[in-house]
Amino acid sequence: MLNRFIRWIQRYKGWFGGAAAVCIFLGLYIGLFASPPDYYQGELVRIMYVHVPLAHTSTLAYSVLFFGSIWYLWKRDPLVDNACQASAGICALFTALALITGSIWAKPTWNTWWTWDPRLVSFSVLLLILGGYLMLRKLVDDPERGGRYAAILAIVGGIDLPIIKFSVEWWRTLHQPMSFSTRGVAISDDILIPLTLMSIGAWLLFAYMVMVRTQILYLTDLLHAKKGRLFSQTHFSQTSP
Amino acid sequence: MTGFYVRWAIMVGGLILLALMTFQQYQRDLSTISLATVLNSPATSKPVRIQGMVKSGTLSGAVDQGQATFELIDGPTTLPVEYAGPPLENIRELKTMVLIGHLDPATKTFKAKDTALINNFGFVAAAYLLTVISICWVLFAMSQRVMVLFKEIKDEKLYEPEIDPLGHNK
Repeated sequence: MLNRFIRWIQRYKGWFGGAAAVCIFLGLYIGLFASPPDYYQGELVRIMYVHVPLAHTSTLAYSVLFFGSIWYLWKRDPLVDNACQASAGICALFTALALITGSIWAKPTWNTWWTWDPRLVSFSVLLLILGGYLMLRKLVDDPERGGRYAAILAIVGGIDLPIIKFSVEWWRTLHQPMSFSTRGVAISDDILIPLTLMSIGAWLLFAYMVMVRTQILYLTDLLHAKKGRLFSQTHFSQTSP
Repeated sequence: MTGFYVRWAIMVGGLILLALMTFQQYQRDLSTISLATVLNSPATSKPVRIQGMVKSGTLSGAVDQGQATFELIDGPTTLPVEYAGPPLENIRELKTMVLIGHLDPATKTFKAKDTALINNFGFVAAAYLLTVISICWVLFAMSQRVMVLFKEIKDEKLYEPEIDPLGHNK
């Protein structure tokens, strides 16, 4: 089922890329020109339009990896494994960027590049888990075994997701509390519109990037298989009497 | 192949245009000038933004009612300021702040009407540039890789007919 879905959605890859570009360009324009500066932070608030979408997308990407890994361990579908691997790589990129932009934002507002805050630490742990996932895939010789081990790591690492989400509620923290919760939305419309556009753009961009990366992994496998077959065929034709 | 590079050229062009527009707008509306520049410029009624530190021991007046006089320092330059505007919530001595107003050429006093937050454009620009450049670079590399792989697969396919699938040598 998931295999068919991945193959079906690949056909609409270009639409995802185009829609992401439109949302991001519009979000950047409104975020940089139309939205007002914050009363306390001034122009610095504009960092939020890149930092928050990156952070949201990182957790979304890890959720895709988490559920994809469960599916892979259940069905052992190599295409789902490729999608998981693609998701992990893109998630690592978004997580690293979210941490760096957060650090850039923290310096003028908190007067420090880094602090041992629960949200920051749990987010850094996510990056370490992703690093471990990608390394595991590279280090294990047998790709199928590597995929299996990595899937187990991704599932175990899933425990970090609720910690990231609720860290601002569970512990005393410098990081601002959740802006979207059952209590409502704690952001004014002027800021909410570019933030929503950028977030939707980042999700679509993630989807597009995962599709392209999955395609790369699939084509690489195909090429290796083709080369292997050609090699065996050439070898067979040369050695046969 | 050409379509691929055209698409990317349009995207990069759009991003550069957006960056230039942002830079221009910030330079025009939000950048500050030094105290020395204000003192040496010809008199104008157009409001300007200046940035400096409130000199210790000079702040006086009804700050909470929006009336204050103080001296602003910026390196070796000192400029007397008469502020009349919205109540100043967090002014104090030795605080660096941005003032909006104009220079009175007769008294060489800066008549400030409003204050603004210090601009940290460097941080905003760094966050945006880092994100946009790294994502574009990864996207470009991935798209190019797909093209290379398709080409390699096509080349392999061209090679394939040379081998007889039934194993008969030609």
